[in-house]
Amino acid sequence: MYNIMSNYLFLFRGGDSRRLEQSPEEMQEHMQKWGAWMGGLNEKGQLVDGLPLAKDGKVVEKAGEVVTDGPFAEGAEIVGGYLIVSSDSLQGAVEISKGCPIFEHGGNVEVREIMSMNM
Amino acid sequence: MFSQNDTVENVFRYEYGKIIAVLVNRFGPSHLENIEDAVQDALLKAMKVWGYKNPPDNPTAWLLRVACNGLIDTFRKNQKMKLDDPALYFDAGKDPKELLLKDGISDSQLKMIFACCHPSLSVEYQIILSLKLIGGFGNREIAKVLLKKEETVAKSFTRAKAKLKEEITTLDIPIEIGLQSRLFVVMRVIYLLFSEGYAPYSGETVVRRDICYEAIRLALLLDENRYCRHPNLNALIALMCFHVSRFDARMDQNMELVDLEHQDRSRYDGELIRIGISHLGNAGTTDRLPSKYHLEAAVSYYHCSAKTFEETDWRAILQLYNLQMDQQYSPIVQLNRIVPYLKVYGAKRAFWELRNFENSPHFTENALYHAIKAELWYQLGDKAAAGPSMEKAMALTNNVLEKKHLHKKLQQWEGPC
Repeated sequence: MYNIMSNYLFLFRGGDSRRLEQSPEEMQEHMQKWGAWMGGLNEKGQLVDGLPLAKDGKVVEKAGEVVTDGPFAEGAEIVGGYLIVSSDSLQGAVEISKGCPIFEHGGNVEVREIMSMNM
Repeated sequence: MFSQNDTVENVFRYEYGKIIAVLVNRFGPSHLENIEDAVQDALLKAMKVWGYKNPPDNPTAWLLRVACNGLIDTFRKNQKMKLDDPALYFDAGKDPKELLLKDGISDSQLKMIFACCHPSLSVEYQIILSLKLIGGFGNREIAKVLLKKEETVAKSFTRAKAKLKEEITTLDIPIEIGLQSRLFVVMRVIYLLFSEGYAPYSGETVVRRDICYEAIRLALLLDENRYCRHPNLNALIALMCFHVSRFDARMDQNMELVDLEHQDRSRYDGELIRIGISHLGNAGTTDRLPSKYHLEAAVSYYHCSAKTFEETDWRAILQLYNLQMDQQYSPIVQLNRIVPYLKVYGAKRAFWELRNFENSPHFTENALYHAIKAELWYQLGDKAAAGPSMEKAMALTNNVLEKKHLHKKLQQWEGPC
Protein backbone atom coordinates (compact mmCIF):
# COMPACT_ATOMS: atom_id res chain seq x y z
CA MET A 1 0.00 0.00 0.00
CA TYR A 2 1.21 3.47 -0.75
CA ASN A 3 -0.14 6.91 -0.10
CA ILE A 4 -0.84 9.39 -2.81
CA MET A 5 0.93 12.67 -2.26
CA SER A 6 -0.98 15.93 -2.46
CA ASN A 7 0.09 19.52 -2.31
CA TYR A 8 -0.92 21.65 0.64
CA LEU A 9 -1.01 25.40 0.88
CA PHE A 10 0.27 27.04 4.07
CA LEU A 11 -0.97 30.57 4.62
CA PHE A 12 1.01 32.48 7.21
CA ARG A 13 -0.86 35.09 9.18
CA GLY A 14 0.20 37.59 11.81
CA GLY A 15 3.29 37.93 13.93
CA ASP A 16 4.30 41.28 12.48
CA SER A 17 3.76 43.36 15.59
CA ARG A 18 6.10 41.15 17.58
CA ARG A 19 8.70 41.34 14.84
CA LEU A 20 8.82 45.11 15.09
CA GLU A 21 10.03 44.86 18.67
CA GLN A 22 13.06 42.83 17.72
CA SER A 23 16.62 44.03 17.58
CA PRO A 24 18.41 43.60 14.23
CA GLU A 25 20.18 40.60 15.66
CA GLU A 26 16.99 38.93 16.80
CA MET A 27 15.43 39.57 13.41
CA GLN A 28 18.34 37.86 11.79
CA GLU A 29 18.10 34.89 14.13
CA HIS A 30 14.43 34.56 13.37
CA MET A 31 15.12 34.71 9.65
CA GLN A 32 17.71 31.98 10.00
CA LYS A 33 15.13 29.77 11.70
CA TRP A 34 12.85 30.16 8.71
CA GLY A 35 15.75 29.33 6.44
CA ALA A 36 16.61 26.25 8.48
CA TRP A 37 13.00 25.09 8.62
CA MET A 38 12.46 25.47 4.92
CA GLY A 39 15.88 24.03 4.16
CA GLY A 40 14.83 20.93 6.12
CA LEU A 41 11.56 20.62 4.17
CA ASN A 42 13.48 20.99 0.95
CA GLU A 43 15.89 18.23 1.86
CA LYS A 44 13.03 15.89 2.62
CA GLY A 45 11.48 16.75 -0.73
CA GLN A 46 8.42 18.23 0.95
CA LEU A 47 8.85 21.79 -0.26
CA VAL A 48 7.19 22.71 -3.53
CA ASP A 49 7.12 26.50 -3.62
CA GLY A 50 6.60 29.59 -1.52
CA LEU A 51 7.19 33.32 -1.17
CA PRO A 52 6.39 36.13 1.23
CA LEU A 53 3.80 38.74 0.31
CA ALA A 54 4.22 42.50 0.52
CA LYS A 55 2.05 44.11 3.17
CA ASP A 56 0.23 46.48 0.83
CA GLY A 57 -2.60 45.18 -1.32
CA LYS A 58 -5.95 45.95 -2.87
CA VAL A 59 -9.28 44.23 -2.80
CA VAL A 60 -11.23 44.48 -6.00
CA GLU A 61 -14.99 44.06 -5.83
CA LYS A 62 -17.89 44.37 -8.25
CA ALA A 63 -15.74 44.02 -11.30
CA GLY A 64 -13.59 46.94 -10.23
CA GLU A 65 -16.32 49.30 -9.15
CA VAL A 66 -15.00 49.06 -5.63
CA VAL A 67 -11.29 48.94 -5.00
CA THR A 68 -10.11 49.17 -1.40
CA ASP A 69 -6.81 48.99 0.37
CA GLY A 70 -6.47 45.47 1.62
CA PRO A 71 -9.10 43.32 3.26
CA PHE A 72 -7.08 43.69 6.37
CA ALA A 73 -9.31 44.39 9.29
CA GLU A 74 -6.59 43.64 11.80
CA GLY A 75 -2.87 43.04 11.67
CA ALA A 76 -3.31 39.49 12.85
CA GLU A 77 -5.33 38.72 9.75
CA ILE A 78 -2.76 39.72 7.19
CA VAL A 79 -1.41 36.90 5.10
CA GLY A 80 2.32 37.46 5.24
CA GLY A 81 3.37 34.67 2.97
CA TYR A 82 2.58 31.27 1.60
CA LEU A 83 4.24 27.93 1.14
CA ILE A 84 3.26 24.86 -0.83
CA VAL A 85 4.33 21.56 0.66
CA SER A 86 3.84 18.01 -0.39
CA SER A 87 2.34 15.51 2.03
CA ASP A 88 0.35 12.28 2.01
CA SER A 89 -2.42 13.65 4.19
CA LEU A 90 -3.85 16.77 5.76
CA GLN A 91 -2.70 15.44 9.12
CA GLY A 92 0.83 15.03 7.73
CA ALA A 93 0.77 18.61 6.43
CA VAL A 94 -0.40 19.87 9.82
CA GLU A 95 2.51 18.02 11.44
CA ILE A 96 4.91 19.75 9.06
CA SER A 97 3.41 23.15 9.88
CA LYS A 98 4.06 22.66 13.59
CA GLY A 99 7.76 23.35 13.10
CA CYS A 100 7.11 26.77 11.60
CA PRO A 101 8.94 29.65 13.34
CA ILE A 102 5.89 31.92 12.95
CA PHE A 103 4.49 30.56 16.23
CA GLU A 104 7.31 32.29 18.10
CA HIS A 105 5.70 35.56 17.14
CA GLY A 106 2.12 34.62 17.87
CA GLY A 107 1.21 34.12 14.22
CA ASN A 108 -0.70 31.18 12.77
CA VAL A 109 -0.66 28.86 9.79
CA GLU A 110 -3.71 27.91 7.79
CA VAL A 111 -3.24 24.54 6.10
CA ARG A 112 -5.35 23.76 3.03
CA GLU A 113 -5.19 20.96 0.54
CA ILE A 114 -4.74 22.11 -3.02
CA MET A 115 -7.27 20.30 -5.19
CA SER A 116 -5.73 18.19 -7.87
CA MET A 117 -7.12 17.85 -11.38
CA ASN A 118 -6.20 14.15 -11.48
CA MET A 119 -8.58 12.91 -8.84
CA MET B 1 17.24 27.65 -0.35
CA PHE B 2 18.70 29.88 2.24
CA SER B 3 21.52 28.44 4.22
CA GLN B 4 23.45 29.92 7.08
CA ASN B 5 26.50 31.22 5.29
CA ASP B 6 29.13 33.85 5.74
CA THR B 7 27.53 36.41 3.48
CA VAL B 8 24.67 36.91 5.79
CA GLU B 9 26.21 36.17 9.15
CA ASN B 10 25.92 39.22 11.36
CA VAL B 11 24.73 41.25 8.45
CA PHE B 12 21.69 42.70 10.19
CA ARG B 13 23.52 44.24 13.09
CA TYR B 14 26.22 45.82 10.97
CA GLU B 15 23.92 46.91 8.21
CA TYR B 16 21.53 48.55 10.61
CA GLY B 17 24.20 50.94 11.84
CA LYS B 18 25.69 51.49 8.41
CA ILE B 19 22.43 52.27 6.67
CA ILE B 20 21.16 54.49 9.47
CA ALA B 21 24.40 56.48 9.24
CA VAL B 22 24.29 56.78 5.45
CA LEU B 23 20.65 57.92 5.47
CA VAL B 24 20.99 60.32 8.39
CA ASN B 25 23.99 61.81 6.69
CA ARG B 26 22.01 62.19 3.48
CA PHE B 27 18.67 63.43 4.83
CA GLY B 28 19.63 64.98 8.16
CA PRO B 29 19.05 64.01 11.79
CA SER B 30 15.62 65.66 11.76
CA HIS B 31 14.32 62.62 9.90
CA LEU B 32 15.85 60.17 12.33
CA GLU B 33 12.57 58.52 13.29
CA ASN B 34 11.43 57.97 9.73
CA ILE B 35 14.87 56.68 8.88
CA GLU B 36 14.83 54.23 11.75
CA ASP B 37 11.40 52.97 10.67
CA ALA B 38 12.54 52.62 7.08
CA VAL B 39 15.64 50.64 8.03
CA GLN B 40 13.62 48.48 10.40
CA ASP B 41 11.13 47.82 7.61
CA ALA B 42 13.90 46.96 5.20
CA LEU B 43 15.28 44.44 7.65
CA LEU B 44 11.81 42.98 8.16
CA LYS B 45 11.48 42.60 4.43
CA ALA B 46 14.89 41.02 4.24
CA MET B 47 13.97 38.69 7.06
CA LYS B 48 10.93 37.52 5.14
CA VAL B 49 12.39 37.31 1.67
CA TRP B 50 15.83 35.99 2.57
CA GLY B 51 14.19 33.36 4.74
CA TYR B 52 12.68 31.92 1.57
CA LYS B 53 15.48 32.47 -0.91
CA ASN B 54 19.20 32.98 -0.82
CA PRO B 55 20.20 36.43 0.34
CA PRO B 56 21.40 38.80 -2.39
CA ASP B 57 25.08 39.02 -3.32
CA ASN B 58 25.31 42.52 -1.96
CA PRO B 59 23.03 42.67 1.09
CA THR B 60 24.06 46.25 1.90
CA ALA B 61 22.94 47.51 -1.49
CA TRP B 62 19.68 45.60 -1.26
CA LEU B 63 18.87 46.89 2.21
CA LEU B 64 19.89 50.45 1.39
CA ARG B 65 17.72 50.50 -1.71
CA VAL B 66 14.70 49.09 0.12
CA ALA B 67 15.16 51.45 3.09
CA CYS B 68 15.67 54.43 0.81
CA ASN B 69 12.59 53.68 -1.26
CA GLY B 70 10.54 53.18 1.86
CA LEU B 71 11.78 56.45 3.29
CA ILE B 72 10.94 58.38 0.17
CA ASP B 73 7.48 56.82 0.13
CA THR B 74 6.99 58.08 3.66
CA PHE B 75 8.18 61.55 2.66
CA ARG B 76 5.74 61.63 -0.24
CA LYS B 77 2.84 60.48 1.91
CA ASN B 78 3.72 62.95 4.60
CA GLN B 79 2.11 66.20 3.49
CA LYS B 80 3.69 68.12 6.31
CA MET B 81 6.97 68.04 4.53
CA LYS B 82 8.13 71.23 2.90
CA LEU B 83 8.00 71.13 -0.84
CA ASP B 84 11.52 72.41 -1.19
CA ASP B 85 12.98 69.70 1.00
CA PRO B 86 15.77 68.18 -1.02
CA ALA B 87 14.84 64.77 0.32
CA LEU B 88 11.84 64.76 -1.98
CA TYR B 89 14.04 65.10 -5.02
CA PHE B 90 16.45 62.41 -4.13
CA ASP B 91 15.79 59.36 -6.21
CA ALA B 92 17.46 56.59 -4.31
CA GLY B 93 16.29 53.92 -6.68
CA LYS B 94 18.49 55.30 -9.39
CA ASP B 95 21.92 55.30 -7.99
CA PRO B 96 22.45 53.93 -4.54
CA LYS B 97 25.97 53.04 -5.60
CA GLU B 98 27.42 56.39 -4.71
CA LEU B 99 26.14 55.96 -1.19
CA LEU B 100 27.72 52.57 -0.99
CA LEU B 101 31.31 53.50 -1.55
CA LYS B 102 33.33 52.31 1.37
CA ASP B 103 34.56 55.80 2.17
CA GLY B 104 31.02 57.09 2.11
CA ILE B 105 29.90 54.57 4.68
CA SER B 106 32.93 55.05 6.92
CA ASP B 107 32.61 58.78 6.70
CA SER B 108 28.90 58.69 7.52
CA GLN B 109 29.45 56.36 10.43
CA LEU B 110 32.22 58.48 11.84
CA LYS B 111 29.98 61.54 11.67
CA MET B 112 27.17 59.57 13.23
CA ILE B 113 29.39 58.51 16.12
CA PHE B 114 30.24 62.09 16.87
CA ALA B 115 26.63 63.18 16.59
CA CYS B 116 25.63 60.51 19.12
CA CYS B 117 28.41 61.69 21.42
CA HIS B 118 27.52 65.36 21.14
CA PRO B 119 28.45 67.29 24.32
CA SER B 120 24.92 68.62 24.74
CA LEU B 121 23.76 65.08 25.47
CA SER B 122 24.28 63.37 28.80
CA VAL B 123 26.79 60.55 28.87
CA GLU B 124 23.99 58.05 29.36
CA TYR B 125 22.18 59.35 26.28
CA GLN B 126 25.41 59.31 24.31
CA ILE B 127 26.01 55.68 25.12
CA ILE B 128 22.45 54.56 24.46
CA LEU B 129 22.31 56.40 21.14
CA SER B 130 25.65 54.99 20.05
CA LEU B 131 24.92 51.41 20.98
CA LYS B 132 21.54 51.57 19.34
CA LEU B 133 22.19 53.59 16.20
CA ILE B 134 25.76 52.57 15.50
CA GLY B 135 26.16 49.23 17.20
CA GLY B 136 22.73 47.96 16.14
CA PHE B 137 21.93 46.86 19.70
CA GLY B 138 18.40 46.02 20.77
CA ASN B 139 16.92 47.51 23.95
CA ARG B 140 17.36 44.23 25.76
CA GLU B 141 21.06 44.03 24.94
CA ILE B 142 21.60 47.63 26.00
CA ALA B 143 19.74 46.97 29.23
CA LYS B 144 22.19 44.14 29.95
CA VAL B 145 25.27 46.17 29.14
CA LEU B 146 24.19 49.15 31.21
CA LEU B 147 22.55 47.09 33.96
CA LYS B 148 19.23 48.85 33.51
CA LYS B 149 15.68 47.77 32.87
CA GLU B 150 14.57 47.30 29.30
CA GLU B 151 11.71 49.79 29.62
CA THR B 152 14.05 52.37 31.13
CA VAL B 153 16.36 51.99 28.14
CA ALA B 154 13.45 52.33 25.70
CA LYS B 155 12.29 55.53 27.40
CA SER B 156 15.79 56.99 27.58
CA PHE B 157 16.32 56.21 23.93
CA THR B 158 13.18 58.09 22.95
CA ARG B 159 14.25 61.11 25.00
CA ALA B 160 17.80 60.92 23.75
CA LYS B 161 16.60 60.90 20.16
CA ALA B 162 14.41 63.93 20.75
CA LYS B 163 17.38 65.75 22.25
CA LEU B 164 19.64 64.72 19.40
CA LYS B 165 17.19 66.09 16.84
CA GLU B 166 16.86 69.29 18.80
CA GLU B 167 20.60 69.87 19.12
CA ILE B 168 21.99 68.59 15.88
CA THR B 169 20.88 69.60 12.45
CA THR B 170 23.67 68.32 10.28
CA LEU B 171 26.28 65.70 10.76
CA ASP B 172 29.89 66.78 10.83
CA ILE B 173 33.12 65.74 12.38
CA PRO B 174 34.03 68.33 14.95
CA ILE B 175 37.52 69.67 14.57
CA GLU B 176 37.38 72.30 17.26
CA ILE B 177 38.55 72.03 20.85
CA GLY B 178 35.55 70.01 21.93
CA LEU B 179 36.78 67.06 19.99
CA GLN B 180 38.92 65.50 22.66
CA SER B 181 36.24 65.30 25.30
CA ARG B 182 33.90 63.76 22.77
CA LEU B 183 36.58 61.38 21.67
CA PHE B 184 36.77 60.01 25.21
CA VAL B 185 33.06 59.19 25.16
CA VAL B 186 33.40 57.60 21.75
CA MET B 187 36.20 55.41 23.08
CA ARG B 188 34.14 54.42 26.08
CA VAL B 189 31.29 53.40 23.80
CA ILE B 190 33.64 51.31 21.70
CA TYR B 191 35.06 49.76 24.84
CA LEU B 192 31.57 48.84 26.07
CA LEU B 193 30.72 47.39 22.70
CA PHE B 194 33.87 45.30 22.76
CA SER B 195 33.33 44.15 26.33
CA GLU B 196 29.86 42.90 25.51
CA GLY B 197 31.30 40.93 22.61
CA TYR B 198 34.22 39.62 24.63
CA ALA B 199 32.19 38.34 27.54
CA PRO B 200 28.55 38.08 26.56
CA TYR B 201 26.33 38.45 29.56
CA SER B 202 24.21 35.49 28.52
CA GLY B 203 23.66 33.08 25.72
CA GLU B 204 25.54 30.10 24.45
CA THR B 205 28.68 31.61 23.02
CA VAL B 206 31.67 32.65 24.98
CA VAL B 207 32.69 35.41 22.61
CA ARG B 208 30.72 37.26 20.03
CA ARG B 209 33.36 37.90 17.44
CA ASP B 210 31.06 40.00 15.31
CA ILE B 211 30.64 42.59 18.05
CA CYS B 212 34.34 42.60 18.86
CA TYR B 213 35.33 43.07 15.24
CA GLU B 214 32.79 45.85 14.85
CA ALA B 215 34.30 47.61 17.86
CA ILE B 216 37.78 47.29 16.36
CA ARG B 217 36.52 48.49 13.00
CA LEU B 218 35.04 51.62 14.59
CA ALA B 219 38.24 52.30 16.51
CA LEU B 220 40.34 51.95 13.36
CA LEU B 221 37.91 54.26 11.61
CA LEU B 222 38.63 56.91 14.22
CA ASP B 223 42.33 56.29 13.96
CA GLU B 224 42.23 57.01 10.23
CA ASN B 225 41.04 60.53 10.97
CA ARG B 226 43.90 62.77 11.96
CA TYR B 227 41.81 64.83 14.34
CA CYS B 228 40.85 61.74 16.26
CA ARG B 229 44.29 60.30 16.80
CA HIS B 230 45.10 59.94 20.46
CA PRO B 231 47.41 57.77 22.58
CA ASN B 232 44.40 56.38 24.44
CA LEU B 233 42.81 55.35 21.18
CA ASN B 234 45.93 53.45 20.20
CA ALA B 235 45.97 51.79 23.60
CA LEU B 236 42.33 50.82 23.15
CA ILE B 237 43.03 49.30 19.74
CA ALA B 238 46.01 47.40 21.15
CA LEU B 239 43.91 46.12 24.03
CA MET B 240 41.23 44.82 21.66
CA CYS B 241 43.78 43.19 19.33
CA PHE B 242 45.46 41.36 22.20
CA HIS B 243 42.16 40.06 23.50
CA VAL B 244 40.96 38.97 20.08
CA SER B 245 44.26 37.21 19.35
CA ARG B 246 43.32 34.58 21.93
CA PHE B 247 39.81 33.91 20.60
CA ASP B 248 40.56 30.65 18.80
CA ALA B 249 42.31 29.23 21.82
CA ARG B 250 39.46 30.00 24.19
CA MET B 251 37.33 27.18 22.78
CA ASP B 252 38.29 23.55 22.21
CA GLN B 253 37.00 21.12 19.55
CA ASN B 254 34.02 20.23 21.70
CA MET B 255 33.09 23.91 21.77
CA GLU B 256 33.91 24.06 25.43
CA LEU B 257 35.56 26.93 27.20
CA VAL B 258 39.29 26.63 27.85
CA ASP B 259 40.81 28.72 30.62
CA LEU B 260 44.03 30.66 30.31
CA GLU B 261 46.06 27.90 31.95
CA HIS B 262 45.02 25.22 29.46
CA GLN B 263 44.88 27.24 26.24
CA ASP B 264 46.93 26.03 23.29
CA ARG B 265 49.10 29.10 22.85
CA SER B 266 50.15 28.13 19.34
CA ARG B 267 46.59 29.07 18.38
CA TYR B 268 47.04 32.68 19.44
CA ASP B 269 46.90 34.95 16.41
CA GLY B 270 50.45 36.29 15.99
CA GLU B 271 49.42 38.79 13.37
CA LEU B 272 46.89 40.44 15.67
CA ILE B 273 49.43 40.49 18.48
CA ARG B 274 51.87 42.29 16.16
CA ILE B 275 49.19 44.83 15.18
CA GLY B 276 48.43 45.34 18.85
CA ILE B 277 52.08 45.88 19.66
CA SER B 278 52.45 48.43 16.91
CA HIS B 279 49.46 50.37 18.21
CA LEU B 280 50.78 50.16 21.72
CA GLY B 281 54.02 51.61 20.34
CA ASN B 282 52.01 54.62 19.13
CA ALA B 283 50.25 54.94 22.44
CA GLY B 284 53.11 56.58 24.27
CA THR B 285 52.17 59.27 26.70
CA THR B 286 54.77 61.68 27.95
CA ASP B 287 52.74 64.23 29.78
CA ARG B 288 50.14 62.16 31.53
CA LEU B 289 49.45 58.95 33.35
CA PRO B 290 48.64 55.90 31.28
CA SER B 291 44.89 55.47 30.79
CA LYS B 292 42.99 52.41 31.88
CA TYR B 293 43.20 51.29 28.26
CA HIS B 294 46.98 51.41 28.50
CA LEU B 295 47.01 49.38 31.68
CA GLU B 296 44.52 46.82 30.43
CA ALA B 297 46.33 46.52 27.13
CA ALA B 298 49.55 45.87 29.00
CA VAL B 299 47.95 43.12 31.10
CA SER B 300 46.57 41.51 28.00
CA TYR B 301 49.95 41.82 26.31
CA TYR B 302 51.65 39.93 29.15
CA HIS B 303 49.11 37.15 28.80
CA CYS B 304 49.30 36.68 25.08
CA SER B 305 53.07 37.07 24.85
CA ALA B 306 53.90 34.52 27.58
CA LYS B 307 55.11 31.32 25.92
CA THR B 308 53.49 29.14 28.57
CA PHE B 309 51.09 29.76 31.40
CA GLU B 310 53.91 29.10 33.87
CA GLU B 311 56.07 31.77 32.27
CA THR B 312 53.45 34.48 32.72
CA ASP B 313 54.92 37.52 34.43
CA TRP B 314 52.40 37.65 37.26
CA ARG B 315 54.37 40.24 39.20
CA ALA B 316 54.19 42.69 36.31
CA ILE B 317 50.49 41.98 35.89
CA LEU B 318 49.81 42.51 39.58
CA GLN B 319 51.72 45.77 39.39
CA LEU B 320 49.48 46.90 36.52
CA TYR B 321 46.39 46.08 38.55
CA ASN B 322 47.82 48.05 41.46
CA LEU B 323 48.29 51.03 39.17
CA GLN B 324 44.71 50.75 37.96
CA MET B 325 43.49 50.66 41.54
CA ASP B 326 45.59 53.69 42.43
CA GLN B 327 44.15 55.66 39.56
CA GLN B 328 40.53 54.82 40.01
CA TYR B 329 38.82 52.38 42.31
CA SER B 330 36.76 49.79 40.52
CA PRO B 331 35.25 46.75 42.23
CA ILE B 332 35.81 44.65 39.12
CA VAL B 333 39.50 45.55 38.95
CA GLN B 334 39.78 44.87 42.65
CA LEU B 335 38.29 41.44 42.17
CA ASN B 336 40.33 40.53 39.09
CA ARG B 337 43.48 41.63 40.88
CA ILE B 338 43.10 38.64 43.20
CA VAL B 339 44.08 36.31 40.33
CA PRO B 340 47.65 37.64 39.86
CA TYR B 341 47.83 38.20 43.62
CA LEU B 342 47.20 34.51 44.12
CA LYS B 343 49.97 33.66 41.67
CA VAL B 344 52.46 35.95 43.32
CA TYR B 345 51.65 35.50 47.02
CA GLY B 346 49.82 32.18 47.19
CA ALA B 347 46.35 31.14 48.25
CA LYS B 348 46.61 32.00 51.91
CA ARG B 349 47.48 35.65 51.43
CA ALA B 350 45.11 35.95 48.48
CA PHE B 351 42.34 34.67 50.68
CA TRP B 352 43.02 37.37 53.27
CA GLU B 353 43.19 39.95 50.52
CA LEU B 354 39.78 38.83 49.32
CA ARG B 355 38.41 38.92 52.86
CA ASN B 356 39.28 42.61 53.01
CA PHE B 357 36.56 43.55 50.60
CA GLU B 358 34.24 40.62 50.43
CA ASN B 359 31.51 42.35 52.38
CA SER B 360 31.20 44.88 49.60
CA PRO B 361 27.68 44.74 48.16
CA HIS B 362 29.19 44.61 44.66
CA PHE B 363 30.14 41.00 45.03
CA THR B 364 27.31 39.13 46.67
CA GLU B 365 25.66 38.50 43.31
CA ASN B 366 28.85 38.34 41.26
CA ALA B 367 29.61 34.96 39.68
CA LEU B 368 33.32 35.67 39.27
CA TYR B 369 33.63 36.55 42.93
CA HIS B 370 32.22 33.22 43.98
CA ALA B 371 34.30 31.32 41.43
CA ILE B 372 37.50 32.96 42.68
CA LYS B 373 36.54 32.26 46.25
CA ALA B 374 35.87 28.61 45.39
CA GLU B 375 39.29 28.36 43.76
CA LEU B 376 40.92 29.82 46.85
CA TRP B 377 39.12 27.42 49.17
CA TYR B 378 40.15 24.55 46.93
CA GLN B 379 43.78 25.59 46.87
CA LEU B 380 43.70 25.88 50.64
CA GLY B 381 42.53 22.28 50.74
CA ASP B 382 39.01 22.97 51.97
CA LYS B 383 36.90 21.09 49.44
CA ALA B 384 33.84 21.24 51.67
CA ALA B 385 33.80 25.05 51.38
CA ALA B 386 34.89 25.16 47.73
CA GLY B 387 31.88 23.18 46.47
CA PRO B 388 29.09 25.48 47.66
CA SER B 389 30.99 28.56 46.49
CA MET B 390 31.34 27.08 43.04
CA GLU B 391 27.68 26.15 42.97
CA LYS B 392 26.79 29.70 43.86
CA ALA B 393 29.00 30.94 41.00
CA MET B 394 27.27 28.56 38.62
CA ALA B 395 23.84 29.70 39.70
CA LEU B 396 24.78 33.33 39.11
CA THR B 397 26.19 32.77 35.61
CA ASN B 398 23.85 33.47 32.73
CA ASN B 399 26.25 32.31 30.08
CA VAL B 400 25.71 28.64 29.27
CA LEU B 401 29.34 27.92 28.37
CA GLU B 402 30.68 29.57 31.48
CA LYS B 403 28.30 27.56 33.56
CA LYS B 404 29.50 24.35 31.89
CA HIS B 405 33.11 25.31 32.42
CA LEU B 406 32.59 25.93 36.12
CA HIS B 407 30.68 22.69 36.41
CA LYS B 408 33.55 20.77 34.81
CA LYS B 409 35.98 22.28 37.23
CA LEU B 410 33.81 21.36 40.17
CA GLN B 411 33.57 17.77 38.93
CA GLN B 412 37.34 17.59 38.67
CA TRP B 413 37.64 18.75 42.25
CA GLU B 414 35.16 16.19 43.44
CA GLY B 415 36.65 13.46 41.25
CA PRO B 416 38.34 10.30 42.55
CA CYS B 417 41.86 11.73 42.23
